[in-house]
Amino acid sequence: MKHLILTSAILAALTAPIGAETLTIGTATAQTGGLAYADVPTMQGMKLAVEEINAAGGIDGATKIVLLEKDVRSDPAQTSIAAQELADAGVSVIVLPGDSDPALAAIGVVSSAEIPAISTVASSPTLPEIGGDYMFSNFPGDNVQAAVSAKWAWDEGYKTAWIVYSPDTQYTTMPLYFRDVFEKLGGEMLGVSTNTIGQQDFSAIATTIAAQDPQPDLVMTSAYEPDFPSMLIALRAAGVTSQVIGSDGIDSPTTFSLGDVGENVVFTTAGFATKGSPLEAFDKAFEQKYGTAPESIYSAVGYDLIKVIEAAVIVAGSTEPKKIRDAMADLENVQGATGLITYKGTNGMPVRQVSLIRVKDGGRELVGQPSPDANLIPAPRMQ
Amino acid sequence: MLTSSRTQLLASGGMIIMLSVIAVFVATWFGPATERMLTVFFISLTAVVGIGVYSGNSGILSFGHVAFMGVGAYASSLLTVPAALKGATLPGLPTWLADVELTLIPATLIAMVFTAVVALAVGAAISKLEGSAATIATLGLLIIVHGVIIGWRDVTRGAQSFFGVPRVTDLVTAAAFCVVALLLARLYRDSVSGLRLRAGRENAIAAGAVGVRIRWERLISFVLAAAIMALAGAMMAHFLGAFSPKKFYFNDTFLLLAMLIVGGMSTVTGAITGAVVITLVTEILRRLESGFSIGVFDVPPIFGTAQIGIGLIILLAMFRKVDGLAGLKEWEERVLPGSTLIAQVAPPSVGAQDVLSGEGLTMQFGGLTAVDDVSIQILPGQIVGLIGPNGSGKTTLLNMLSGILTPTQGQILLGGRDLTGLSSPKIADQGIARTFQNIRLFTNLTVYQNVLVAALSTHRGKDAVARAQTALDWLDVMKHVAADAGTLSYGDQRRVEIARALACQPQVLFLDEPAAGMNREETDALMEILRRLSADLGISVLLVDHDLELINQLSDQIMVLNEGRMIAQGTPQEIRRNKAVIEAYLGTGRENTN
Repeated sequence: MKHLILTSAILAALTAPIGAETLTIGTATAQTGGLAYADVPTMQGMKLAVEEINAAGGIDGATKIVLLEKDVRSDPAQTSIAAQELADAGVSVIVLPGDSDPALAAIGVVSSAEIPAISTVASSPTLPEIGGDYMFSNFPGDNVQAAVSAKWAWDEGYKTAWIVYSPDTQYTTMPLYFRDVFEKLGGEMLGVSTNTIGQQDFSAIATTIAAQDPQPDLVMTSAYEPDFPSMLIALRAAGVTSQVIGSDGIDSPTTFSLGDVGENVVFTTAGFATKGSPLEAFDKAFEQKYGTAPESIYSAVGYDLIKVIEAAVIVAGSTEPKKIRDAMADLENVQGATGLITYKGTNGMPVRQVSLIRVKDGGRELVGQPSPDANLIPAPRMQ
Repeated sequence: MLTSSRTQLLASGGMIIMLSVIAVFVATWFGPATERMLTVFFISLTAVVGIGVYSGNSGILSFGHVAFMGVGAYASSLLTVPAALKGATLPGLPTWLADVELTLIPATLIAMVFTAVVALAVGAAISKLEGSAATIATLGLLIIVHGVIIGWRDVTRGAQSFFGVPRVTDLVTAAAFCVVALLLARLYRDSVSGLRLRAGRENAIAAGAVGVRIRWERLISFVLAAAIMALAGAMMAHFLGAFSPKKFYFNDTFLLLAMLIVGGMSTVTGAITGAVVITLVTEILRRLESGFSIGVFDVPPIFGTAQIGIGLIILLAMFRKVDGLAGLKEWEERVLPGSTLIAQVAPPSVGAQDVLSGEGLTMQFGGLTAVDDVSIQILPGQIVGLIGPNGSGKTTLLNMLSGILTPTQGQILLGGRDLTGLSSPKIADQGIARTFQNIRLFTNLTVYQNVLVAALSTHRGKDAVARAQTALDWLDVMKHVAADAGTLSYGDQRRVEIARALACQPQVLFLDEPAAGMNREETDALMEILRRLSADLGISVLLVDHDLELINQLSDQIMVLNEGRMIAQGTPQEIRRNKAVIEAYLGTGRENTN
């Protein structure tokens, strides 16, 4: 028995079948830890897409997809190790965690193994820039999201702003992009606060903002749970009545279950299921498979990720990593669940739709799906 | 200087090198995935043995040494990351650091030195603490260093990942560095410092009383351990290519301590065993994590199995083998003979030339006066008996005279030199050695090591081996040299304790109830030995015992304590007739009570 277990374990690890009819996608994602809130739903969407494609006979009716899964526990070092294991196993594409920090940890591996890598939902525009030719993103960039929300705020008539950001990750520095755009449009920054990820006492920041006279018209942050709910509650408790603007990190069930406190928060994210949209169809298929509606947009983004790989394999006509990379870099208008996705002409940061959502009556209300003016989008930079 | 036999050390070193070379060849044959697994293993083993150098020898479990691994990783990486990349990712770096671009080995050496300096500062504070207080302090160290790394954004990129480190740690490099670390750890264990530290681990008070400056030894091992951790950290950084402060925090501390605890803290054999067991188990479980199939059953992916598995192994180890799989001895210590004593000329006995006197000694514990204004004088070569009912202050007086307690009032002089307030190691070095009422041997060290460590820690270790041998001969325990002190019979343990005190080459010997637990024949034999110590070597003896026959026959002078006060002093004959003594021992007669 012991032998049997051992052998199966070794077999499971070493025999990812790689042949003409299969495409092996290695996933080194955060199924546990701080990024699980994004990577777990993403994985559900990916599996749905794989199932659909395989049920239809595979990519182009010929190539079945196999997923080889590793949990990286939201840790950069573990990501580097898992990516290396996947490269050793001979996968054609590697999927990396939903934040640029752990994803960056795999740079060395993917560039030396020359295997294309895509982060599930990392949105820092610096990721593909620093990551080189083999690193791709799968989400609207931070700078694009910030340009969309800043433009909307300015058009709504908000003139003064306060930002709360954390230098702990690239993602949580999105408010700095927001500041650039907002000031460019003519808005005035009343102040900047910084927080530490995982440190949920926001009373000092809330009191500072509440003490402003007049209070800022809006407060912008890209904190995500569990920090964001704490921040929001602290702000409202301190008497801050400003409009609160967030980002895709708060596109999760928690935000919609905050009751009155959560009402009227506006945030940017990767899609909204309008009537008759592909996203609506995706939501239905998802519910059929899993029994519940997707809990956040990340599931649809995960579905898109597989669709992008599918499109690249079709163009490449091969499962060879290098050819897939070249094809992927040249993709244009791939139809995903959230809309059209284009890599052509970018450095790996896709052009894709951004939706502005308002929390209303504990549900989502579409504010708009604007395409930002290219001149407004700030250049990517390391923070 | 090394304290164990050359055969054992050579066997150990040979085995370490041979196993490493075999492992490298086997892994190379299996291919890159196995090579990488083995590389991680070598790095982990380096770290485990690093923690073991401190925790194993001092007996203080350290949660903090992984912090030094982090310091080593960041320090070395800052030196090797290409200058161009540093410019992009660390714009706040000082210019002199931003322009540096070194290769792995010089960067690692600099990182080790830097980490050792940091450890020296930290260790100086932590080495003052005992037992669990020290352990908790190391936990604080881990948290503080983690905080500093996160906070020092200009240099470390804060909580974000530090990436772009050249991935140059290959299997052979890791194996070579690991072998160096293992050999260092093995040699340290049997160095003079390592032996002293282990004696302190077994019994801190007794170690102090034979001249071991335990804080100093702790500091040495703390710094050495930190340097080895820095080596492991530098290798890890240059293996992964990217890491974040989280890499050097609780998760890895847990993993490495699991290896150390499961294998056995106090030996290099244990570190290797633990690292092998835990690595094998985690590698298997981690692969099972992604799901597998047994025949027709498909087991879905279960994430987190590796951690649960390690937890279970620790539980199992704690229930079945508290000292770890390897126990308290190196494999070669079990298989090969220990130090064979080389016949040497016995060192000249110094004999006592000085008068030891305590004047007006008073010891108060809060409101309780345990010893009240007692003066005592021991002439060279004299045997002084100290008696008194239980709780009369005999042991307290002995503790003051031997530096374990500092008297509240009064003065201790040896031949005119003031010893008041000196620490017990210094007192031991001045020529005052002692035994303890409840035996305090270094139970897991051999009889030879027990005695040798005393000889090594007094009089600058001059003629240590010869002194140890003479002491063992005198007490007739030479036949037990290879046995662990804790395994001896009670009477033999008493004798070894006296031999250990004697190895300090004392002028004055304090014996606290040396005959307790001995039968009549053993007591008589002991009496003969003590008489010869005084007559032949000229050593002064202060003897505390309840066996009045022993005291009467041996003592030149007897002092009697009652309720902390000296109630009588004189020759045995005088004391036997003393009314106060009779009262103290037998109570007052009925005619005097109301």
